[in-house]
Amino acid sequence: MITINGYVRENGAVGVRNHVLVLPLDDLSNSAAVGVSKLVNGVISVPHPYGRLQFGRDLDLFFHVLAGSGANPNVAGAIVIGIEDNWANKVADEIAKTGKPVEVFPIEGYGDLKTIEKASRKAKEMVQEASEKRRTEVDISSITMSIKCGESDTTSGLASNPAVGVVVDKMVDLGATVMFGETSELTGAEDIVAEKMANQALRKKFLKIYKEYIDVIEREGVDLLGSQPTQGNIKGGLSTIEEKALGNIQKLGHRKVNCVLDYLDPLNKERGGTLCFVNTSSAAAEAVTLFAAKGSVLHLFTTGQGNIVGHPLIPVIKITANPKTAKLMSEHIDVDVSDLLDLKVSLEEAGERIYNYTLKVANGRLTAAEVLHHEEFSPIKLYISA
Amino acid sequence: MARGLIHSDQDNVCVATTDIKKGEEVLCAYLEGNSHLIVKSVDDIPLGHKIAVKDVRQGEKVIKYGRPIGVATQSISKGQHVHVHNLKSMRWGK
Repeated sequence: MITINGYVRENGAVGVRNHVLVLPLDDLSNSAAVGVSKLVNGVISVPHPYGRLQFGRDLDLFFHVLAGSGANPNVAGAIVIGIEDNWANKVADEIAKTGKPVEVFPIEGYGDLKTIEKASRKAKEMVQEASEKRRTEVDISSITMSIKCGESDTTSGLASNPAVGVVVDKMVDLGATVMFGETSELTGAEDIVAEKMANQALRKKFLKIYKEYIDVIEREGVDLLGSQPTQGNIKGGLSTIEEKALGNIQKLGHRKVNCVLDYLDPLNKERGGTLCFVNTSSAAAEAVTLFAAKGSVLHLFTTGQGNIVGHPLIPVIKITANPKTAKLMSEHIDVDVSDLLDLKVSLEEAGERIYNYTLKVANGRLTAAEVLHHEEFSPIKLYISA
Repeated sequence: MARGLIHSDQDNVCVATTDIKKGEEVLCAYLEGNSHLIVKSVDDIPLGHKIAVKDVRQGEKVIKYGRPIGVATQSISKGQHVHVHNLKSMRWGK
C-alpha cells in the first residue's frame, strides 16, 4: 500500500494543505477580504473581478467555482464576504455541505472596517482551530490531482509531458483521480482523445463539448491563429495547433478516460482510478482554478519556455524538460527532466522522479510557486454582465 | 555533434535538442527503437525547433508524432529549418 500524510476533512475528502480561506463574493468585497488576510496570520484571500450582475450559465459557473474553492479539501474553514448577503449565503451554504466551518459577513449596513473586524475575529478562531489539525496516513487513492501544460515548446511533447504521462498511469492504477482539460488546445488531436474514452457515451459527450467550444470561437468570425499556438509556443519551436495538441496529449498517459465533465458537472470518482476530461480554457490560471474548484488538491504543470502560474489553495508542481528554462528560471522549476533530451535517463526514470516529488509535496513540501506567492485565482467568465 | 530527436519513423522532421549552427551535422535519434540518422543543417536552428530530415514539397504534409502537423507552404529541403515561415496549420489560418 502506498500512503501519504494528508488532512482528512469532515466529509472524508483528503487535502494536502490546511488553509483558512477568505472568499470575496464579488469585486467590491476584495478590499475587505484582503484586509482580513493582512490582519490575521494564516488566512488566504482570493481577490477576483467578478460577482456582480452575472446571469444564466455564467452565474452558475461562477457559483460553482467559488463554492468549489471553499469546498476544496485543502481548505479547513472558509469565510465569505459579500456586499449583500444573499449570493454570499448561497455560496456559503454549498461549502457548508462539506461539514467544514463557514461564516458569511455582508458589508452593506456595516462598511469595510466593521466587516473586516468581525470577519477577522472569526478568521482568527478558524486559524487556531485549523492549526490543531494533524496530517494522518491515508491511501494514495484518496488523492485528486490535475495536470496541465503551459508556455509549452517541443521539449514538452518530447519529454516532460510523456514523463507526466508515466505518473498519470501510475496514479490511476493506484486508484487516484486525475483531471485534464484545455479544450481548444486538443485541436488536431481531438480524435486521439476521443479514442481514449472508455465508452461511446463518454466519447459522444467529449466530442459535443469540444465542438461547442470551437463553435463559440468560430462564431466570433475568427480562428485562434496568433493565440494558439501562443507567441511563447512559437518561440519554443511549435509551429501549428496540431503540433501543440499532439505534444499536449502526451501527458495523458495510456489509461482509458472514464469520466468527462462539462463546466458544471461534479466529479464522481471511480473506485479503480479515474482519468477525467474537464471542459476548461487553456489559460493556465483559469484551468487550475477550475480544477481546484472541482476538487483537485495538487497540480502537475509542465512548461517549456517557463510558465510561472500558481494557485492560492493547491500546490502547483512545475516540471520542465527545457535545459535553458531549467537554468534561467530555476527558482520556478520544481522538477528538471531535461536529461531526458539527451536520453541519459529513461522515460520511466523521469516519471519516477516526478512521482516521488509529487509524494513529497503531498506530504507537505512547499512548491516553488507556493514559496514565491504565486496565488493566481481566475474564475472563468462566459459572457458579458447584465 | 549537434543533436536532435525524432518521434516516429514516419516523421520528416527532427527536433533540435541543442542549438544548431548552419553547416553543422546533426545526429537525430529516433525515440522509438535505437536507430538514428545524420543530417547537415543549412540554417541556424534553435533548441526546440525542427529541422527537415527529408525533402518536403510545397503542399505536402509535415509529419511529426507520425501524424500530419500542417502543410508546407513552400518547398523545404533536407536540413532546412521548419517553422511558421514554411509550415501552416491545416485547421486554422486557412
